[in-house]
Amino acid sequence: MPPHPELLLMLLADARLPAAGHTQSGTAEAALAHGLAAAELPGYVSARLASVTCVEAGTAVVARAVLLRSGGTAQLADVAAAWAARTPSPALREAARVQARALLRLADRLWPEAGALQAVRELIRPCRAVVLGAVAAHVGLGAAALARLVGYDDVQTVCAAALKLVPMDPAVVTGWVHDALPDIDQLAATVAELTEPASIPAVGSPQIEAWAQAHAATSRRLFRA
Amino acid sequence: MLEHEDHPNPHPHGRALRLGICGPVGTGKSSLIALLCRELAGRLELAVITNDIYTDEDARFLRAAGVLDADRIRAVETGACPHTAIRDDITANLLVVEELEDEYGDLDVVLLESGGDNLTATFSPALVDAQVFVLDVAGGGDVARKGGPGIERADLLVVNKTDLAPYVGVDVARMLADARAARGGGPVIGLSRTDRASIDELLAWISGVLATHRAGMLMPVDPGPMARHLHAHEHAHNH
Repeated sequence: MPPHPELLLMLLADARLPAAGHTQSGTAEAALAHGLAAAELPGYVSARLASVTCVEAGTAVVARAVLLRSGGTAQLADVAAAWAARTPSPALREAARVQARALLRLADRLWPEAGALQAVRELIRPCRAVVLGAVAAHVGLGAAALARLVGYDDVQTVCAAALKLVPMDPAVVTGWVHDALPDIDQLAATVAELTEPASIPAVGSPQIEAWAQAHAATSRRLFRA
Repeated sequence: MLEHEDHPNPHPHGRALRLGICGPVGTGKSSLIALLCRELAGRLELAVITNDIYTDEDARFLRAAGVLDADRIRAVETGACPHTAIRDDITANLLVVEELEDEYGDLDVVLLESGGDNLTATFSPALVDAQVFVLDVAGGGDVARKGGPGIERADLLVVNKTDLAPYVGVDVARMLADARAARGGGPVIGLSRTDRASIDELLAWISGVLATHRAGMLMPVDPGPMARHLHAHEHAHNH
């Protein structure tokens, strides 16, 4: 009997997942370096959920849908192209592709038999959202759960990095995560029904993209992106 | 002299030797890697991965040293967790190792430098085949005696900058003897870039490890995360 999807969701959302998550800040390091105040981080998290993270979640959900209707590498490439068109910052695209390699490396070990992952492997430099979509398709994770996973992971990535960059009572930061949960649900409601690459929301955030670009060029940084 | 450099099939083990260089900040890890590149790049195919706390500082130092083609020196950024990146979640490092092995199919040795962390940071045996722990005399003559996983159980302990000993009031012979005692007789090299014999001793050690690796006989050993507690009463606050 396959494991309960809730358990798989916990596995994938766990920061201890060995996929180099500790190298990422969700552009929070650059935001703080360019003037965002620590107290503004909850707003930053919400802004991400409404923009760059919405693109990620939409892409993951559509990749899952495409694979579940027996799409192959060509159809996944359309999803990846739609994602790239909605992610104008080369730094954000690069970060997502590096994270995809780490996740794919792990997924290959956990689910070596997965046909969905085979289709991803044949893509040239897939993005993380497509890999997550393929994992979800293989393990039987639903579209809304997948979208929540993408949103939750993004919020935790920003908040965990914030604790290293601007240390404070960690319970305050966990409060930020807790308070962002309704926004994550809203994100899931927005993208869960999507099935076509063209329907992935085109809602970038020029400010986050500009920060991500600046971060990629700096010579002093703790986090890769 | 690396007598096996003309080995007819240098990669029976399927890939390059992955050699970790770890130790506290400032002990000379980057300089040691620069030295190895200078000495070995003429006869072995090398690549270097640095784990920096701040971006690619060490990678830039090594590229500027001009000891190896700049493209063969890559940095892993660790999100303020240099310890995690070489031990608990080695994914970021493995991706770069594999990238280098893909791009340079004939690599003999990949040198991995840890981010200058502390006495407890050692490499996972899933990331490196062997590891060198680096101390220096300027860090104090008593550090070797204090022990710790790297000092006690890394494959090799280097006590670096022995030429500085007169200036910092350290008895090198005593420090090396302490180190050997802490390691139960495991290899220790007192190194100085101005002491040719010490450099040759280091190269001979690497040559031996590489030969063992190529013979498929090298078993990576975990130095462990914990220090022995023999001297716990002396430095209990360090634990």
